[in-house]
Amino acid sequence: MTFLPGLGSKVLGYAANISPDEVIRLTNEKRVQNGLPPLVLNSTLSAAALAKGTDMINKDYWAHVSPNGTQPWKFFMDFGYRYRYAGENLARDFSNASSAVDAWMASPSHRGNMLSAKYKEIGIGVVEGDLAGVDTTIIVQFFGTKYADSLPVAPVAQTKGATPTPQPKAVVLATPIPTFSPVGTTTLSTPKPILISPFNTTKNVSLVIVGVLLGVLVIDGLVTSRRRIVRIGGRTFAHLAFLGMILAVVLILKAGQVL
Amino acid sequence: MRNFAKHTSHYLPLLGILLLGVLAFALFSYDRGFQIAVSIAVALAYVAWGVMHHHLHRDLHLSVFIEYLIVASLGLVIVFSLIFRS
Repeated sequence: MTFLPGLGSKVLGYAANISPDEVIRLTNEKRVQNGLPPLVLNSTLSAAALAKGTDMINKDYWAHVSPNGTQPWKFFMDFGYRYRYAGENLARDFSNASSAVDAWMASPSHRGNMLSAKYKEIGIGVVEGDLAGVDTTIIVQFFGTKYADSLPVAPVAQTKGATPTPQPKAVVLATPIPTFSPVGTTTLSTPKPILISPFNTTKNVSLVIVGVLLGVLVIDGLVTSRRRIVRIGGRTFAHLAFLGMILAVVLILKAGQVL
Repeated sequence: MRNFAKHTSHYLPLLGILLLGVLAFALFSYDRGFQIAVSIAVALAYVAWGVMHHHLHRDLHLSVFIEYLIVASLGLVIVFSLIFRS
């Protein structure tokens, strides 16, 4: 999407500096703080997470299940990761790993994945691309425990909002396990200079509007009070309080979503 | 301040509702649906408060109702523009 037609290039987007290793480090930090063992980086899971992120950008969707019904667990199986337990956390539009991890920890279901004792391994995929017309960064966090590490029972997969799909007990891989790079990061499009963050622009405009309105109301309140003007109208204090709440909410809201 | 002292018993519930709204936004920062619901609920409560307050003071007019409605709508537009942008 071209925000300023004269520039002829994309200027809307969210610049991010997110390292998969940093996401894993922060995740393990939270686990250790909660008395859990750290997760081990599994490069197969990272490759699968990267494939999931790439799929989301290519098919332009923001969901656990793709528009054609592909479950996230398919990416586990495609890369030969036979899971006993599997989990997925997603995040987008965060500028750094720390804020994404904090957002996951603030959500009970995502926190449940991060602090689950069932998982032993982790893989992270960070993908930059165009989603719904805006350049963004997606983080895919895959959790897993291999089938071979547990008793031979039917695999169980957990994610927020997705229904586990029953898996066959014997899995025969028709194709060889694909090769992959150990670090799950890719950029699907040539990096373009990101000049304007949509969220921050909207936030700054909102702050200016609310600030101006608050100032006008304060002046109006002082003038009518000093001149003892009687008029039919709403209570200035009530309007000030309400707009003050709006100001607080605007300051609280942050960019980034988790799923 | 004079106005506030005169209507303290009315302003305190309003301040309570608005504070709860801010708290809800802070605590449920991960749940966009909940934030939208809280925004609408607080806006409606604000308009309802205005209507009740002015009715009790016998100075409720259509223009007053519209004034509260416009302020509430403006607040909603600002908050929604950020929620759907984030």
